[in-house]
Amino acid sequence: MTTGRMLGALLLVVGAVILQTTLFVSTRPFGAAPDLIVLAVFGLLRFMPAEPGIFLGFTGGLLADLLGGSPLGMWALSLTVVAYLVIRLRDRAQDSYGLAIVGVFAFTFVAQSLYVLLGTLFGQQPLKDPGVARIVILTALFTAVLAMAVLPVGSWLARETRGRRSRVLV
Amino acid sequence: MLRSRPDRTTTLFITLVVFSFMLTTYDVQTAQVGSFGSALRTGAEFVFSPVQKAASAVTRPVVGFLDGVANLASLRDENDQLRDQVASLEQELADTESLRAELDALQRLNNIVGPAGIDTVTARIFAVAPSGFDHVRGIDRGSSDGIGVGMPVVDESGLIGRVDAVFADSARVRLITDPTVRVGVRVLRTNETGWVSGRGSGPLVLEMFEATQAVAEGDRVVTEGGRFPAGLIVGTVNEGARSDAGFALRTTVDTIVVFSRLDFVNVLITTSEDELTDVPGDDGPPVLDEAPPQGSP
Repeated sequence: MTTGRMLGALLLVVGAVILQTTLFVSTRPFGAAPDLIVLAVFGLLRFMPAEPGIFLGFTGGLLADLLGGSPLGMWALSLTVVAYLVIRLRDRAQDSYGLAIVGVFAFTFVAQSLYVLLGTLFGQQPLKDPGVARIVILTALFTAVLAMAVLPVGSWLARETRGRRSRVLV
Repeated sequence: MLRSRPDRTTTLFITLVVFSFMLTTYDVQTAQVGSFGSALRTGAEFVFSPVQKAASAVTRPVVGFLDGVANLASLRDENDQLRDQVASLEQELADTESLRAELDALQRLNNIVGPAGIDTVTARIFAVAPSGFDHVRGIDRGSSDGIGVGMPVVDESGLIGRVDAVFADSARVRLITDPTVRVGVRVLRTNETGWVSGRGSGPLVLEMFEATQAVAEGDRVVTEGGRFPAGLIVGTVNEGARSDAGFALRTTVDTIVVFSRLDFVNVLITTSEDELTDVPGDDGPPVLDEAPPQGSP
Protein backbone atom coordinates (compact mmCIF):
# COMPACT_ATOMS: atom_id res chain seq x y z
CA MET A 1 0.00 0.00 0.00
CA THR A 2 1.37 3.39 -0.96
CA THR A 3 1.93 6.15 1.55
CA GLY A 4 -0.57 8.34 -0.31
CA ARG A 5 -3.34 5.76 -0.04
CA MET A 6 -2.56 5.20 3.63
CA LEU A 7 -2.74 8.95 4.25
CA GLY A 8 -6.00 9.12 2.34
CA ALA A 9 -7.45 6.32 4.48
CA LEU A 10 -6.24 8.07 7.63
CA LEU A 11 -7.84 11.34 6.52
CA LEU A 12 -11.14 9.55 5.94
CA VAL A 13 -11.09 8.11 9.44
CA VAL A 14 -10.17 11.50 10.94
CA GLY A 15 -13.05 13.02 8.96
CA ALA A 16 -15.38 10.35 10.33
CA VAL A 17 -14.31 11.16 13.91
CA ILE A 18 -14.81 14.91 13.34
CA LEU A 19 -18.27 14.32 11.86
CA GLN A 20 -19.16 11.88 14.63
CA THR A 21 -18.37 14.49 17.27
CA THR A 22 -20.13 17.41 15.57
CA LEU A 23 -23.02 16.10 13.46
CA PHE A 24 -24.98 14.47 16.27
CA VAL A 25 -24.96 17.24 18.88
CA SER A 26 -28.74 17.56 18.77
CA THR A 27 -29.68 14.68 16.45
CA ARG A 28 -29.83 11.45 18.41
CA PRO A 29 -33.11 9.64 17.78
CA PHE A 30 -33.93 7.55 20.88
CA GLY A 31 -30.51 8.44 22.31
CA ALA A 32 -28.48 6.79 19.54
CA ALA A 33 -26.67 7.87 16.38
CA PRO A 34 -24.84 5.97 13.64
CA ASP A 35 -21.23 5.08 14.41
CA LEU A 36 -19.41 6.74 11.52
CA ILE A 37 -15.99 5.67 12.83
CA VAL A 38 -16.80 1.96 12.76
CA LEU A 39 -18.40 2.43 9.35
CA ALA A 40 -15.29 4.17 7.97
CA VAL A 41 -12.92 1.56 9.44
CA PHE A 42 -15.05 -1.29 8.13
CA GLY A 43 -15.37 0.24 4.66
CA LEU A 44 -11.64 0.91 4.37
CA LEU A 45 -10.51 -2.44 5.78
CA ARG A 46 -12.27 -4.31 3.00
CA PHE A 47 -9.59 -3.00 0.65
CA MET A 48 -6.55 -2.53 2.90
CA PRO A 49 -3.63 -4.78 3.89
CA ALA A 50 -3.84 -6.28 7.38
CA GLU A 51 -1.20 -4.41 9.40
CA PRO A 52 -1.99 -0.87 8.20
CA GLY A 53 -5.66 -1.74 8.66
CA ILE A 54 -5.20 -2.62 12.33
CA PHE A 55 -3.19 0.58 12.85
CA LEU A 56 -6.00 2.51 11.21
CA GLY A 57 -8.58 1.07 13.62
CA PHE A 58 -6.33 1.84 16.58
CA THR A 59 -5.65 5.41 15.39
CA GLY A 60 -9.33 6.15 14.75
CA GLY A 61 -10.19 4.85 18.20
CA LEU A 62 -7.45 6.83 19.90
CA LEU A 63 -8.63 10.03 18.23
CA ALA A 64 -12.19 9.29 19.36
CA ASP A 65 -10.83 8.88 22.90
CA LEU A 66 -8.93 12.16 22.67
CA LEU A 67 -11.93 14.15 21.43
CA GLY A 68 -14.48 12.39 23.64
CA GLY A 69 -14.84 12.21 27.37
CA SER A 70 -13.74 8.63 28.02
CA PRO A 71 -10.38 7.45 29.40
CA LEU A 72 -7.74 7.17 26.68
CA GLY A 73 -7.51 3.74 25.09
CA MET A 74 -11.10 2.55 25.47
CA TRP A 75 -12.20 3.32 21.93
CA ALA A 76 -8.71 2.47 20.67
CA LEU A 77 -9.02 -1.04 22.11
CA SER A 78 -12.59 -1.51 20.85
CA LEU A 79 -11.75 -0.44 17.30
CA THR A 80 -8.52 -2.45 17.24
CA VAL A 81 -10.57 -5.54 18.04
CA VAL A 82 -13.11 -4.64 15.34
CA ALA A 83 -10.32 -4.07 12.80
CA TYR A 84 -8.75 -7.43 13.63
CA LEU A 85 -12.09 -9.24 13.34
CA VAL A 86 -12.82 -7.59 9.97
CA ILE A 87 -9.40 -8.61 8.66
CA ARG A 88 -9.72 -12.18 9.91
CA LEU A 89 -13.22 -12.65 8.56
CA ARG A 90 -13.03 -10.80 5.26
CA ASP A 91 -11.12 -13.55 3.46
CA ARG A 92 -13.39 -16.29 4.73
CA ALA A 93 -16.60 -14.77 3.47
CA GLN A 94 -17.63 -13.90 -0.04
CA ASP A 95 -17.75 -10.13 -0.46
CA SER A 96 -21.39 -9.25 -1.05
CA TYR A 97 -23.56 -6.22 -0.40
CA GLY A 98 -25.94 -8.02 1.96
CA LEU A 99 -23.17 -9.60 3.96
CA ALA A 100 -21.39 -6.25 4.26
CA ILE A 101 -24.50 -4.65 5.77
CA VAL A 102 -24.86 -7.52 8.23
CA GLY A 103 -21.15 -7.15 8.97
CA VAL A 104 -21.53 -3.43 9.73
CA PHE A 105 -24.38 -4.20 12.13
CA ALA A 106 -22.40 -6.96 13.86
CA PHE A 107 -19.12 -5.05 14.14
CA THR A 108 -20.85 -1.91 15.42
CA PHE A 109 -22.60 -4.07 17.99
CA VAL A 110 -19.25 -5.61 18.99
CA ALA A 111 -17.54 -2.19 19.23
CA GLN A 112 -20.33 -0.69 21.37
CA SER A 113 -20.61 -3.76 23.60
CA LEU A 114 -16.86 -3.89 24.13
CA TYR A 115 -16.88 -0.19 24.99
CA VAL A 116 -19.62 -0.76 27.58
CA LEU A 117 -17.65 -3.69 29.02
CA LEU A 118 -14.46 -1.65 29.26
CA GLY A 119 -16.38 1.31 30.69
CA THR A 120 -17.73 -0.95 33.43
CA LEU A 121 -14.25 -2.33 34.10
CA PHE A 122 -12.75 1.17 34.36
CA GLY A 123 -15.44 2.74 36.55
CA GLN A 124 -17.43 4.67 33.95
CA GLN A 125 -20.60 2.84 35.01
CA PRO A 126 -22.36 2.71 31.62
CA LEU A 127 -24.49 -0.18 32.88
CA LYS A 128 -26.26 2.25 35.23
CA ASP A 129 -27.97 3.55 32.10
CA PRO A 130 -31.32 1.75 31.82
CA GLY A 131 -31.22 2.28 28.05
CA VAL A 132 -27.85 0.63 27.46
CA ALA A 133 -29.21 -2.26 25.36
CA ARG A 134 -31.40 0.11 23.34
CA ILE A 135 -28.46 2.40 22.61
CA VAL A 136 -26.16 -0.46 21.54
CA ILE A 137 -28.76 -2.07 19.26
CA LEU A 138 -30.03 1.21 17.76
CA THR A 139 -26.49 2.45 17.10
CA ALA A 140 -25.74 -0.80 15.23
CA LEU A 141 -29.04 -0.53 13.36
CA PHE A 142 -28.57 3.13 12.35
CA THR A 143 -25.01 2.38 11.20
CA ALA A 144 -26.22 -0.54 9.09
CA VAL A 145 -28.93 1.64 7.50
CA LEU A 146 -26.37 4.32 6.71
CA ALA A 147 -24.04 1.65 5.32
CA MET A 148 -26.69 0.71 2.75
CA ALA A 149 -26.16 4.10 1.13
CA VAL A 150 -22.47 4.63 1.84
CA LEU A 151 -20.86 1.24 1.11
CA PRO A 152 -21.81 1.03 -2.60
CA VAL A 153 -20.29 4.49 -3.15
CA GLY A 154 -17.16 3.45 -1.23
CA SER A 155 -16.83 0.22 -3.21
CA TRP A 156 -17.24 2.11 -6.49
CA LEU A 157 -14.59 4.64 -5.45
CA ALA A 158 -12.20 1.83 -4.45
CA ARG A 159 -12.72 0.07 -7.79
CA GLU A 160 -12.21 3.32 -9.69
CA THR A 161 -8.96 4.19 -7.91
CA ARG A 162 -7.68 0.63 -8.35
CA GLY A 163 -8.64 0.64 -12.05
CA ARG A 164 -6.98 4.01 -12.62
CA ARG A 165 -3.82 2.80 -10.91
CA SER A 166 -3.69 -0.42 -12.99
CA ARG A 167 -4.32 1.60 -16.15
CA VAL A 168 -1.40 3.84 -15.23
CA LEU A 169 0.77 0.79 -14.61
CA VAL A 170 -0.19 -0.70 -17.99
CA MET B 1 6.57 -30.63 19.89
CA LEU B 2 5.92 -27.91 17.32
CA ARG B 3 4.05 -24.82 18.39
CA SER B 4 2.42 -22.55 15.85
CA ARG B 5 3.61 -18.96 16.33
CA PRO B 6 1.13 -16.12 15.83
CA ASP B 7 1.52 -14.33 12.52
CA ARG B 8 2.56 -10.67 12.28
CA THR B 9 -1.02 -9.41 12.16
CA THR B 10 -1.96 -11.24 15.35
CA THR B 11 1.23 -10.09 17.07
CA LEU B 12 0.47 -6.47 16.15
CA PHE B 13 -3.12 -6.90 17.29
CA ILE B 14 -2.09 -8.28 20.68
CA THR B 15 0.51 -5.53 21.10
CA LEU B 16 -2.02 -2.78 20.39
CA VAL B 17 -4.66 -4.34 22.63
CA VAL B 18 -2.19 -4.61 25.53
CA PHE B 19 -0.99 -1.05 24.87
CA SER B 20 -4.57 0.30 24.82
CA PHE B 21 -5.39 -1.51 28.04
CA MET B 22 -2.30 -0.11 29.76
CA LEU B 23 -3.05 3.36 28.40
CA THR B 24 -6.58 3.25 29.82
CA THR B 25 -5.31 2.03 33.20
CA TYR B 26 -2.67 4.77 33.27
CA ASP B 27 -5.15 7.47 32.22
CA VAL B 28 -7.69 6.44 34.86
CA GLN B 29 -4.98 6.37 37.54
CA THR B 30 -3.53 9.76 36.59
CA ALA B 31 -6.71 11.66 35.73
CA GLN B 32 -5.41 15.10 36.60
CA VAL B 33 -4.16 18.27 35.00
CA GLY B 34 -0.56 17.98 33.86
CA SER B 35 -0.62 14.24 33.23
CA PHE B 36 0.45 12.63 29.97
CA GLY B 37 -3.19 12.06 28.99
CA SER B 38 -4.00 15.70 29.68
CA ALA B 39 -1.12 16.83 27.46
CA LEU B 40 -2.30 14.55 24.66
CA ARG B 41 -5.85 15.87 24.95
CA THR B 42 -4.68 19.47 24.94
CA GLY B 43 -2.66 18.77 21.79
CA ALA B 44 -5.61 17.07 20.10
CA GLU B 45 -7.94 19.91 21.07
CA PHE B 46 -5.46 22.46 19.73
CA VAL B 47 -5.34 20.70 16.37
CA PHE B 48 -8.90 19.48 15.97
CA SER B 49 -11.04 21.99 17.87
CA PRO B 50 -10.94 24.58 15.01
CA VAL B 51 -11.84 21.80 12.56
CA GLN B 52 -14.71 20.69 14.80
CA LYS B 53 -15.98 24.25 15.12
CA ALA B 54 -15.84 24.67 11.34
CA ALA B 55 -17.57 21.33 10.80
CA SER B 56 -20.25 22.27 13.32
CA ALA B 57 -20.80 25.62 11.59
CA VAL B 58 -21.10 23.84 8.25
CA THR B 59 -23.38 21.02 9.34
CA ARG B 60 -25.90 23.24 11.18
CA PRO B 61 -27.15 24.95 8.00
CA VAL B 62 -26.99 21.63 6.14
CA VAL B 63 -29.44 20.11 8.62
CA GLY B 64 -31.62 23.21 8.22
CA PHE B 65 -31.38 22.93 4.46
CA LEU B 66 -32.44 19.27 4.55
CA ASP B 67 -35.45 20.29 6.60
CA GLY B 68 -36.24 22.88 3.96
CA VAL B 69 -35.96 20.25 1.22
CA ALA B 70 -38.29 17.97 3.15
CA ASN B 71 -40.84 20.78 3.34
CA LEU B 72 -40.60 21.37 -0.38
CA ALA B 73 -41.71 17.82 -1.13
CA SER B 74 -45.32 18.77 -0.45
CA LEU B 75 -45.21 21.44 -3.18
CA ARG B 76 -44.41 19.14 -6.10
CA ASP B 77 -47.85 19.57 -7.68
CA GLU B 78 -47.50 23.33 -7.94
CA ASN B 79 -46.42 24.90 -11.23
CA ASP B 80 -42.73 25.66 -11.76
CA GLN B 81 -42.93 29.36 -11.10
CA LEU B 82 -44.90 29.00 -7.89
CA ARG B 83 -42.68 26.14 -6.80
CA ASP B 84 -39.57 28.28 -7.18
CA GLN B 85 -41.24 31.13 -5.32
CA VAL B 86 -42.41 28.88 -2.50
CA ALA B 87 -39.02 27.21 -2.29
CA SER B 88 -37.33 30.55 -1.97
CA LEU B 89 -39.83 31.80 0.62
CA GLU B 90 -39.69 28.54 2.57
CA GLN B 91 -35.95 28.70 2.72
CA GLU B 92 -36.02 32.32 3.86
CA LEU B 93 -38.67 31.51 6.45
CA ALA B 94 -36.68 28.55 7.75
CA ASP B 95 -33.60 30.75 8.03
CA THR B 96 -35.56 33.47 9.81
CA GLU B 97 -37.20 30.99 12.21
CA SER B 98 -33.84 29.49 12.94
CA LEU B 99 -32.34 32.92 13.61
CA ARG B 100 -35.32 33.93 15.76
CA ALA B 101 -35.03 30.76 17.86
CA GLU B 102 -31.31 31.40 18.24
CA LEU B 103 -31.98 35.01 19.25
CA ASP B 104 -34.67 33.96 21.77
CA ALA B 105 -32.30 31.43 23.31
CA LEU B 106 -29.55 34.01 23.62
CA GLN B 107 -31.93 36.62 25.06
CA ARG B 108 -33.25 34.15 27.64
CA LEU B 109 -29.71 33.23 28.60
CA ASN B 110 -28.62 36.84 28.92
CA ASN B 111 -31.57 37.58 31.20
CA ILE B 112 -30.40 35.01 33.70
CA VAL B 113 -28.98 36.51 36.82
CA GLY B 114 -26.27 34.23 38.13
CA PRO B 115 -26.70 33.00 41.71
CA ALA B 116 -25.47 35.60 44.18
CA GLY B 117 -24.25 37.83 41.39
CA ILE B 118 -21.84 35.27 39.93
CA ASP B 119 -20.48 36.31 36.54
CA THR B 120 -21.39 34.13 33.59
CA VAL B 121 -19.90 33.37 30.20
CA THR B 122 -22.26 32.36 27.39
CA ALA B 123 -20.94 29.56 25.18
CA ARG B 124 -22.23 27.50 22.32
CA ILE B 125 -22.11 23.73 22.13
CA PHE B 126 -20.15 22.54 19.10
CA ALA B 127 -19.14 18.98 19.90
CA VAL B 128 -20.47 15.83 21.48
CA ALA B 129 -18.85 12.55 22.55
CA PRO B 130 -18.54 9.84 19.89
CA SER B 131 -20.84 7.43 21.73
CA GLY B 132 -24.16 7.62 23.52
CA PHE B 133 -22.48 6.45 26.72
CA ASP B 134 -20.26 9.50 27.28
CA HIS B 135 -22.37 12.36 28.55
CA VAL B 136 -20.14 15.29 27.68
CA ARG B 137 -20.42 18.33 25.40
CA GLY B 138 -17.75 20.57 23.89
CA ILE B 139 -18.30 24.33 24.25
CA ASP B 140 -16.63 27.07 22.23
CA ARG B 141 -15.22 29.05 25.18
CA GLY B 142 -12.14 28.16 27.17
CA SER B 143 -9.52 29.39 29.61
CA SER B 144 -9.00 32.57 27.57
CA ASP B 145 -12.59 33.53 28.49
CA GLY B 146 -12.05 32.85 32.18
CA ILE B 147 -13.47 29.34 32.26
CA GLY B 148 -11.86 26.86 34.64
CA VAL B 149 -12.23 23.24 35.66
CA GLY B 150 -15.12 22.61 38.05
CA MET B 151 -17.25 25.60 37.06
CA PRO B 152 -21.01 24.92 36.98
CA VAL B 153 -22.81 25.12 33.64
CA VAL B 154 -26.48 26.13 33.40
CA ASP B 155 -29.06 27.22 30.87
CA GLU B 156 -32.30 29.13 31.34
CA SER B 157 -33.96 25.98 32.74
CA GLY B 158 -31.42 24.86 35.31
CA LEU B 159 -28.25 22.91 35.99
CA ILE B 160 -26.57 21.17 33.06
CA GLY B 161 -23.26 19.97 34.49
CA ARG B 162 -19.77 21.16 35.26
CA VAL B 163 -16.64 21.88 33.29
CA ASP B 164 -14.24 18.95 33.56
CA ALA B 165 -11.54 19.89 31.05
CA VAL B 166 -10.45 23.30 29.79
CA PHE B 167 -8.37 24.26 26.77
CA ALA B 168 -7.43 27.69 25.44
CA ASP B 169 -10.53 28.29 23.29
CA SER B 170 -12.80 25.40 24.21
CA ALA B 171 -13.87 23.33 27.18
CA ARG B 172 -15.57 20.05 27.94
CA VAL B 173 -18.72 19.91 30.08
CA ARG B 174 -19.70 16.71 31.90
CA LEU B 175 -23.49 16.55 32.14
CA ILE B 176 -25.33 15.71 35.36
CA THR B 177 -26.75 12.67 33.52
CA ASP B 178 -23.28 11.08 33.44
CA PRO B 179 -23.21 8.00 35.72
CA THR B 180 -19.99 9.23 37.38
CA VAL B 181 -21.58 12.52 38.50
CA ARG B 182 -23.29 13.08 41.85
CA VAL B 183 -24.85 16.35 42.92
CA GLY B 184 -25.81 17.36 46.45
CA VAL B 185 -29.47 18.46 46.36
CA ARG B 186 -32.35 19.69 48.49
CA VAL B 187 -36.05 19.01 47.98
CA LEU B 188 -37.62 22.46 48.10
CA ARG B 189 -40.95 21.45 49.72
CA THR B 190 -39.49 19.37 52.55
CA ASN B 191 -36.17 21.24 52.79
CA GLU B 192 -34.38 17.90 53.28
CA THR B 193 -31.16 17.01 51.56
CA GLY B 194 -29.76 14.09 49.60
CA TRP B 195 -28.00 13.60 46.32
CA VAL B 196 -28.83 12.76 42.76
CA SER B 197 -26.65 10.68 40.48
CA GLY B 198 -26.76 10.32 36.71
CA ARG B 199 -27.99 7.25 34.88
CA GLY B 200 -27.22 8.14 31.28
CA SER B 201 -30.37 8.24 29.21
CA GLY B 202 -32.60 7.44 32.19
CA PRO B 203 -33.86 9.85 34.87
CA LEU B 204 -31.54 10.84 37.73
CA VAL B 205 -31.62 8.78 40.93
CA LEU B 206 -32.41 10.67 44.14
CA GLU B 207 -31.12 9.17 47.38
CA MET B 208 -31.86 10.68 50.79
CA PHE B 209 -30.34 8.99 53.81
CA GLU B 210 -31.89 11.02 56.60
CA ALA B 211 -35.27 11.89 55.16
CA THR B 212 -38.05 12.19 57.69
CA GLN B 213 -40.74 13.23 55.21
CA ALA B 214 -41.97 11.63 52.02
CA VAL B 215 -41.32 13.25 48.67
CA ALA B 216 -44.17 13.67 46.22
CA GLU B 217 -44.35 13.58 42.45
CA GLY B 218 -43.56 17.02 41.07
CA ASP B 219 -41.49 18.18 44.06
CA ARG B 220 -38.78 20.51 42.84
CA VAL B 221 -35.17 19.51 43.49
CA VAL B 222 -32.41 22.15 43.64
CA THR B 223 -28.68 22.12 44.33
CA GLU B 224 -27.79 22.21 48.00
CA GLY B 225 -24.44 23.97 47.80
CA GLY B 226 -20.94 22.53 47.86
CA ARG B 227 -19.44 22.25 44.42
CA PHE B 228 -22.49 23.83 42.81
CA PRO B 229 -24.00 27.11 44.02
CA ALA B 230 -27.13 26.51 46.09
CA GLY B 231 -30.54 26.92 44.50
CA LEU B 232 -29.92 25.85 40.90
CA ILE B 233 -32.88 23.84 39.61
CA VAL B 234 -31.97 20.21 38.92
CA GLY B 235 -35.35 18.65 38.20
CA THR B 236 -38.64 17.39 39.60
CA VAL B 237 -39.41 14.19 41.48
CA ASN B 238 -40.76 11.61 39.08
CA GLU B 239 -42.46 9.34 41.57
CA GLY B 240 -43.45 9.91 45.21
CA ALA B 241 -41.53 7.90 47.83
CA ARG B 242 -40.91 7.64 51.55
CA SER B 243 -38.11 6.05 53.52
CA ASP B 244 -38.77 2.99 55.63
CA ALA B 245 -37.05 2.83 59.01
CA GLY B 246 -33.35 2.25 58.57
CA PHE B 247 -33.44 2.57 54.78
CA ALA B 248 -32.65 5.44 52.47
CA LEU B 249 -35.36 7.15 50.47
CA ARG B 250 -34.77 6.35 46.84
CA THR B 251 -36.67 7.60 43.81
CA THR B 252 -36.09 9.15 40.40
CA VAL B 253 -35.90 12.76 39.25
CA ASP B 254 -36.65 14.08 35.77
CA THR B 255 -34.23 16.77 34.68
CA ILE B 256 -35.66 20.16 33.78
CA VAL B 257 -33.08 20.64 31.03
CA VAL B 258 -33.73 18.90 27.70
CA PHE B 259 -30.19 17.79 26.96
CA SER B 260 -30.87 16.83 23.34
CA ARG B 261 -31.86 20.43 22.55
CA LEU B 262 -28.96 22.24 24.16
CA ASP B 263 -27.41 24.93 22.00
CA PHE B 264 -26.26 27.88 24.13
CA VAL B 265 -25.22 27.50 27.77
CA ASN B 266 -23.94 29.73 30.57
CA VAL B 267 -20.81 28.93 32.54
CA LEU B 268 -20.84 30.33 36.08
CA ILE B 269 -17.43 31.85 36.74
CA THR B 270 -16.82 30.44 40.19
CA THR B 271 -14.54 27.77 41.58
CA SER B 272 -15.48 24.73 43.59
CA GLU B 273 -13.02 25.75 46.33
CA ASP B 274 -14.92 29.04 46.80
CA GLU B 275 -18.20 27.17 46.96
CA LEU B 276 -16.92 24.57 49.39
CA THR B 277 -15.95 27.24 51.89
CA ASP B 278 -19.34 28.92 51.51
CA VAL B 279 -21.54 25.97 52.44
CA PRO B 280 -23.84 27.34 55.15
CA GLY B 281 -23.93 25.31 58.32
CA ASP B 282 -21.41 22.81 57.04
CA ASP B 283 -19.31 22.02 60.06
CA GLY B 284 -17.98 18.71 58.85
CA PRO B 285 -15.57 17.93 56.06
CA PRO B 286 -16.58 19.15 52.59
CA VAL B 287 -19.07 16.85 50.90
CA LEU B 288 -17.85 15.43 47.62
CA ASP B 289 -20.72 16.25 45.31
CA GLU B 290 -19.22 14.59 42.35
CA ALA B 291 -17.25 11.44 41.90
CA PRO B 292 -13.78 12.25 40.53
CA PRO B 293 -14.07 12.45 36.73
CA GLN B 294 -12.53 9.40 35.17
CA GLY B 295 -10.23 10.04 32.29
CA SER B 296 -10.41 13.76 32.64
CA PRO B 297 -7.18 15.66 32.66
